[in-house]
Amino acid sequence: MSKRRRKTEQEERWRGRGVSEGVALGRVLRVFNGTRQVYRATLDEKDIGREVRRLRAAIRLARRQLLAIKARAEKELGADHAYIFDAHLLMLEDRKLLDDVEKYISEERANAEWAVKVAADRLLAVYAEIKDDYLRERGSDIEDVTQRILVALSGEGLDYRKLTEDAIIVAEDLLPSAVAELDFEHARAIATDAGGWTSHTAIIARGLRIPAVVGLRDLHRRAQTGDQVVVDAQQGIVILHPSAETVKHYKALITNSSGVRHLPASEDGRGPLLMLDGKEITLRANVELPAEYEDVRRYGARGIGLYRSEFLLSHKGAMPSEEEQCEAYREVAELAGEDGATIRLFDLGGEKFGGATTETERNPALGLRAIRFSLRQEEVLRTQARAILRAAAYGHLDIVLPMVSDVTDVRRAKRLINEERARLDSEGKKSGRVKIGAMIEVPSAVMTADKVAREVDFFSLGTNDLVQYLLAVDRGNEDVADWFRSLHPAVLQSIERTLDAARKALIPAVVCGEMASTPAYVVVLIGLGATDLSMTPSSIPRVRRTIAGIKHADAQEIALACLECETADDVEELVRVRLSKNWPHLFPPKSLPAPRDAE
Amino acid sequence: MIERRVRVTNRLGLHARAAALLVRTANTFQSTLRLERVDAAAAADAKSILSVLMLAAARGTELRVTADGVDEMEAMSALCGLFADGFGENEG
Repeated sequence: MSKRRRKTEQEERWRGRGVSEGVALGRVLRVFNGTRQVYRATLDEKDIGREVRRLRAAIRLARRQLLAIKARAEKELGADHAYIFDAHLLMLEDRKLLDDVEKYISEERANAEWAVKVAADRLLAVYAEIKDDYLRERGSDIEDVTQRILVALSGEGLDYRKLTEDAIIVAEDLLPSAVAELDFEHARAIATDAGGWTSHTAIIARGLRIPAVVGLRDLHRRAQTGDQVVVDAQQGIVILHPSAETVKHYKALITNSSGVRHLPASEDGRGPLLMLDGKEITLRANVELPAEYEDVRRYGARGIGLYRSEFLLSHKGAMPSEEEQCEAYREVAELAGEDGATIRLFDLGGEKFGGATTETERNPALGLRAIRFSLRQEEVLRTQARAILRAAAYGHLDIVLPMVSDVTDVRRAKRLINEERARLDSEGKKSGRVKIGAMIEVPSAVMTADKVAREVDFFSLGTNDLVQYLLAVDRGNEDVADWFRSLHPAVLQSIERTLDAARKALIPAVVCGEMASTPAYVVVLIGLGATDLSMTPSSIPRVRRTIAGIKHADAQEIALACLECETADDVEELVRVRLSKNWPHLFPPKSLPAPRDAE
Repeated sequence: MIERRVRVTNRLGLHARAAALLVRTANTFQSTLRLERVDAAAAADAKSILSVLMLAAARGTELRVTADGVDEMEAMSALCGLFADGFGENEG
């Protein structure tokens, strides 16, 4: 795009971790997700003028965006409410702020982002001293305006929904809300600074069957929208400004391997899946984006084992109405057909419901989220329950409660759902039969699984969160990726304990985390007693082939040995050795989790 | 230069909405317009919203308004008018 940069554009490589297979060549589309890290860069004397112009251009852009937002707000909310945007506009135009920022850029030779942050922090410090609560809160307006300038500086408009044909999404991290705003059908690949194998980025990319590389540290800051880029998930690298030679190499590679990306849909996808010794296993689909819907049938999934409903919340603060939700759930029910779909209630914290909670939680993963949030904001749960109950009149739908701690959460949620069912009856509205299950992903729910099992119709085991909570490891944090071990003996014991509780209570249990998508882990899960798995649809053919090729008794024996291990390393080593020895045709060396020291 | 005293009477004080109205109005005049808390805790340029917000003028705060320039009379009467009717927020 810009002439001045083109001359100095040199091929640059980043090493990360490939989390969704494939190779892609395209143009960068930078996506901003709201948790902006601001870096300090020192400018050359000669670049200062350019930086000031960049700041002014960003402010003009932010101003145009605000004017558009204000006009919409006036129309939809009335002039009284739109006034806040008028205040924001005035802040953008305020010489006091701009002079401070420009002065800082030229005196400190700082980049515009940093200067904006410093100026804003100074203002906020003054605001923090204000004694009047209401007036002090206006600091949040300054933060909002600052964020808007930072977004504009990043070169992003508000309209990153319109993707060009060859867009490669480059982000710090992808949050569910960002995903909902993007038109992902056109995305060719994803590259993010943060994230691990089970991050949202990875899950989404595998769902869309596009390559993804994560853990790229500073790619998002260094890449510009429109830059040419290669994403090679096979090797876990990203190449910015590839040389002509590199482009040629990758073009050839992509042509030769087209089709490898899409594993063939299994022809026997409709019949029951039997292991070599006759044990039947059910495979279902995890679904969130409409783009994945067609895959459910294509890969022969037995219905939808997990529908992540929070993806309906496309914009911050915009809570879909009962009608909108009902429509979406009907579509899911139709799609799932006879085998039905399990709708997971919103698995999000208050930050996604704009204004529902104002304070930032210090520890959101352990905070007011998922069922806790829905129980606190009863209307959220009631509305969603009504929508699901009504949609269930048109197909088979079940409800699963996310992040339950123990039977208390289950009882409270069931009471609310039953009240809404009764209300629908009294209003003469049709509703369908809906089973209610619990996600078992919090250690306290594992420990009391036998009690929880008596209160629900089924269990869903969310292995991603279970690993996170059981091992106290944030799965999005690269620094602790070494501690995130899906095959940790504690995880395996928890899964066994949960499946055992379900069996004794005669209720079904579906395992629906990322573990269920990985053939090597599937062997262990089945050995631990799992008979019902739900996964990214595109993983089904691979998992199906694995299951159809082994004996249940062998899987049990391996799982038993795993339970005896002391460490995750021991389990992984045992799995690697046993699988490649028992079934070398199913588990060639590269298909197994790599040894730790190789990463 | 002319000077007058006003009192913040609207319930929420000089918050974002009121401040925006004040600053918008101030910017329609050429004169230099300043607001100063009579307790001398802070002073502000009436044409800068960030500056006005930093007065932290809650309900009941007394301010000194000064206007200096060719249209100082009109400017003073417009600003004082806003304070007098509580920035249109006092009814109900």
